[in-house]
Amino acid sequence: MAEESKKNDEEDIRILAFLCNWCSYAGADLAGVSRFQYPPNVLDVRVMCTGTISPYFVIKAFQEGMDGVLIAGCHIGDCHYLKGNYMTAKRFQVLREALKFLGLEEGRLRLEWVSAAEGEKYADVIRSFTEEVKALGPSPLRGKKAAKAEVGA
Amino acid sequence: MSDLKTIVKEKLAGGADAFLCLKNEEGTVLPALITDADSPDLEFVDVGESRYPLGRILIDLQREYPDKRFAVLVRGCDERALIELSKLEQIDLDRLVMVGVACSTEEAEACGCPRPYPGDIALGEKVEAAPGREVIDEVESLGDAERLGWWKEQFSRCIKCYGCRNICPMCFCKDCALENPHLVEPGVIPPDFPSFHIIRALDMTGRCIDCGLCEEACPADIPLRSLYRKMQDIMEDKLEYRAGGSVEEKNPLSFLGTEHDIEKLEQE
Repeated sequence: MAEESKKNDEEDIRILAFLCNWCSYAGADLAGVSRFQYPPNVLDVRVMCTGTISPYFVIKAFQEGMDGVLIAGCHIGDCHYLKGNYMTAKRFQVLREALKFLGLEEGRLRLEWVSAAEGEKYADVIRSFTEEVKALGPSPLRGKKAAKAEVGA
Repeated sequence: MSDLKTIVKEKLAGGADAFLCLKNEEGTVLPALITDADSPDLEFVDVGESRYPLGRILIDLQREYPDKRFAVLVRGCDERALIELSKLEQIDLDRLVMVGVACSTEEAEACGCPRPYPGDIALGEKVEAAPGREVIDEVESLGDAERLGWWKEQFSRCIKCYGCRNICPMCFCKDCALENPHLVEPGVIPPDFPSFHIIRALDMTGRCIDCGLCEEACPADIPLRSLYRKMQDIMEDKLEYRAGGSVEEKNPLSFLGTEHDIEKLEQE
């Protein structure tokens, strides 16, 4: 019985992916139309640019019981807004270290650059990230909030 | 070495329209704004041991009186705060005269400040002190799960009094993220773990000048200063910036930068 519920937990791993409108969302779309297989544990949030993602959003995602957060945007130099992802790269460094100091496993947060042509890379990223988060198990921050989010999901 | 009273008179005669400092009226320490040399407050001006974020008052004063020049009494931490506030467009250093006070040995040791003296010292002797790293070292010696538990225990004492934010010399926002109901659920004590404290820690990144007033004000003895100090270490380590250092150097989180900087960052 206990084993069964553990297995369910593992399957229930939920990952929030912030995808930039111009590259990574199109990349995810390409992965879809190309029929690349990847795990269904990901919820997408399309944003206009990864530079618009406040660290608060990531904190909020973990607070609401997400087990992993992926930020995916255009490669450096390819940003639709020229330099939007520079800010993402800087913020990410600080945020990752802050969460590490707090005691949240490093593997739960990831930054990837996925272009609109990289459908296969997108599927790869989701596969490896899901595997990594599954190995870590459900987030220690899951609590009463997580149950609430379940209803809405 | 002259005393504070003489300095106040000198500055008022020498072009400053008002002098902002602390006064000690029979044991009660209050901020005082002295506008002329005959002011009765002048008798009570005192450096004392008290600290107060005078920068917060100065922001309002400079906004209210854009054509006046102010002189202000600063310790090392106040000076760092004013420098950082000027980069955040809150303080105009050109309309400001800073009168520096170096903290005494006892004060410096009790506070554990990284630099207990300002650039120009008008009062007191310069002493060095070493900032305490015990809490950071303790946390870093723990594993992930224990760390989370350790912080959870610390933060569970929080009574959400907002004392840390209210005393903070670097906090000036009109709309505070900590009062945003989407980020921090209202009416819940202790506040959500970890969002309340991690949001504040992230806001303090590249901004906290390590004055320690937050920890002094905290009724629950949460090691906030060590948390924010660690954030500054991260900032220095990753983005090579420490708040309150120089007037010219810009906070890397306040501009986009060059492709070269980002490539360097990515390679680490």
